[in-house]
Amino acid sequence: MARPGFVLEVDERTPPLLFHYGEGFRLEKLPLGSRVVYPSEPLPGVRDVDALIAHALEHPENCEPLSALLKPGMKLTIAFDDISLPLPQMKTPDIRGRVMEHVLEAAARAGVDDVKIIAALSLHRRMTPAELKRAVGERVYRSFYPESLYNHDAEDRANLTFIGETEQGEEVEINKRAAESDLIVYVNINLVAMDGGHKSVPVGLASYRSVRHHHNVHTMMHSQSYMDPPSSALHHSTVRMGKLLAEHVKIFTIETTLNNDAFGGPAGFLQKREWEWSVRDQASYLATKRFTDRAPAHVKRKVFGKMYSPYGVTGVHAGETGAVHEKTLANVHRQQLVEVDGQADVLVAGLPYVGPYNVNSIMNPILVVCEGLGYFFNMYKGKPLVRPGGVMIMFHPVANEFHQIHHPSYVDFFEEVLAETTDPSAIESKFEQQFATDPWYIHLYRNSYAYHGVHPFYMWYWAAHAMDYLGDVIFVGADRTTVSRLGFRTATTLGDALDMAAETVGSSPRVTAMKCPPLLLSDVR
Amino acid sequence: MKKRGSLLADAKEVARGWRWSHRPLVPKSVELPDVEPHDFPTAWARTSVGRAARTALQAYALKPLIDYEVKPRVEGLDVLQGLRAPVIFIANHSSHLDAPLVLTSLPPAWRDQTATGAAADYFFDVWWRAAATALVFNAFPVERSGGKGRATHLAGKMLNDGWNLLVFPEGTRSKDGWVRDFRMGAARLAVEHAVPVVPVALRGTYQAMPRGAGWPAKGRRPVTVRFGRALRRRDGEAAHEFNQRMRAGLAITLSEDRTTWWDAIRNGKQDAASGPDVARWRRVWEASAPMPVARKAFPQR
Repeated sequence: MARPGFVLEVDERTPPLLFHYGEGFRLEKLPLGSRVVYPSEPLPGVRDVDALIAHALEHPENCEPLSALLKPGMKLTIAFDDISLPLPQMKTPDIRGRVMEHVLEAAARAGVDDVKIIAALSLHRRMTPAELKRAVGERVYRSFYPESLYNHDAEDRANLTFIGETEQGEEVEINKRAAESDLIVYVNINLVAMDGGHKSVPVGLASYRSVRHHHNVHTMMHSQSYMDPPSSALHHSTVRMGKLLAEHVKIFTIETTLNNDAFGGPAGFLQKREWEWSVRDQASYLATKRFTDRAPAHVKRKVFGKMYSPYGVTGVHAGETGAVHEKTLANVHRQQLVEVDGQADVLVAGLPYVGPYNVNSIMNPILVVCEGLGYFFNMYKGKPLVRPGGVMIMFHPVANEFHQIHHPSYVDFFEEVLAETTDPSAIESKFEQQFATDPWYIHLYRNSYAYHGVHPFYMWYWAAHAMDYLGDVIFVGADRTTVSRLGFRTATTLGDALDMAAETVGSSPRVTAMKCPPLLLSDVR
Repeated sequence: MKKRGSLLADAKEVARGWRWSHRPLVPKSVELPDVEPHDFPTAWARTSVGRAARTALQAYALKPLIDYEVKPRVEGLDVLQGLRAPVIFIANHSSHLDAPLVLTSLPPAWRDQTATGAAADYFFDVWWRAAATALVFNAFPVERSGGKGRATHLAGKMLNDGWNLLVFPEGTRSKDGWVRDFRMGAARLAVEHAVPVVPVALRGTYQAMPRGAGWPAKGRRPVTVRFGRALRRRDGEAAHEFNQRMRAGLAITLSEDRTTWWDAIRNGKQDAASGPDVARWRRVWEASAPMPVARKAFPQR
């Protein structure tokens, strides 16, 4: 039986608590009386995943069974979530590949010949052949790659179709092949509450023209939080787009949810509660600490990149997008929701080595901001863990390092844009167009493995709500010059950071820390 | 910038944080899982091999160690004459010295037949501590949280098997050196199994090794172990009534050790074992006053 998440109150009996620190870890003693939000333990995974998938496809929500939708001579497009999910990557077989095999078997039985499989990566970088193979499985890859298994290209004007505008003037433009299909089957992994639903097709297969309507500062400021779809302007926009799209093309959504089993084997101590660490866990920590303190960054990345998670599947639901997503969100909440009583003055979090946009890559300073002030800050339902004007303290080295292939526009964003201003609105109005339409970035996005030129802007917007809401942001153990460029402050130790925070929240603040990952979603009352 | 500590520094941090030399602690706000506690098996310690090993350990290791660290004086062993096992020894409890002192004070024949009740959550939390406690003290786990008769179930079984029991009815070591109220377990056992109860007064152990100390204080502090007259349940006496009488019996034995037998039985109703009703520091102050060094009864001239 998985124990639910809970809130620990730090007392004199509490051992030091482990925090992620980029590609390293820190043990920290929080002040007595601090609260720590712990995620729930992994829910048991479903034993017979294939039976679950088969059942979902044949008993879909608010829709005919998949087999009834498949006809000979039809155009079938299967789209799937890209490398940004799940985090860390899951052990093979990847649930996307398993679902796809069921869909393709049904398609083969129905005599469907025209099948295309598209990685719905929107403005993310293209997936490499190896990454595609890992996600869809060897059988699917061998049968379809490269002609019929490929990455979506949001800048291929010839292969985009303009669908129309929503009642609020949002332009919907998606992949032409998908738009002209008789059926789109979307296969997702719903890792957090932000994912899935109408955010899948209208975003994953869209172009910049379409995405800009919700990936902007205004929308982000009104998404409180974007991990809580009913309170998220981002999701309201994608729902409008999804509904418009559904009038033009039939979409069969298949959503999957995973449990919290993110770290297995020798890394198992990362998801155990510290006071329950065995001698083996303590030894694993010491060995890991040695390694992360001594090994060069590229070696650490390689090792961490190969740490695949032994997730269990907690649910598979298929059918009409809205109906499916309701069930999916319930599954996500079942695993991640933790009730927290009241807000804190100071929120403390350790940022891990991986985020959605640096899989097999480097977490550059802009991605660190997105991870901390974007994702971690927004992992709430109701109200943030920290009060308005409070302080967020994060552990991360924030090294001035960029992946030259994956994040070329990030380098320029850091060097040129942030040198001028860190204000999201000013950045949006002055620089976004220039980066979004830069031919060189577009070329790299289409032909290399680069994120779209506009992507670093979105990362910055992702943090806009937190930047506006918080009174101060302090990175502990970070590179001072880099953090200064980002517009924040650094401290050497947590104690120093709390002293600095006292300027904003007084000398005896209420401190709450998040133990994440494994993932948790705070339900703040 | 990233701090790069040495392996030794990291190991020290973990050793401190996880209390390598002590038992691990659980934060108070953590809800303990609602699972049946697991009983550490102790029957092996009462096999012939276990008994032989214990006899040797107690005689050649524990007793010399006790005699080296403190200066014990044992009185009242004559009360054991006429008694037959099983009996329940009850003692006041303020130190980790108490159990070894009582055991090493008993005549070997009694000692070999005596088992010690030890807190399951304290002495039986990790296998190595449980095994050592079971072997050296012939200890059996006592569930201090009680519930469903678990606290006395094993003890009753051992009485039926003819073992004497050494138990500390206060349930835990005194924080201020004075005797606390008794829990009901020992009285209930004595009533249910119709066995006599022998009060054992321990004085000086609080001064020698109070709660929180890891080893006896230097200087061979004097300690006394005084066995009091055995108590038996009277006809119709309920367990809670017998419990009060047990406590009074221990108080008289303590008083006898502090004053004289005559004074103790004359003032037996005045319970001085609980200590004065004053501020805590004054209770601790008084309880930790050095014990007078025992005078020889018949000093040689």
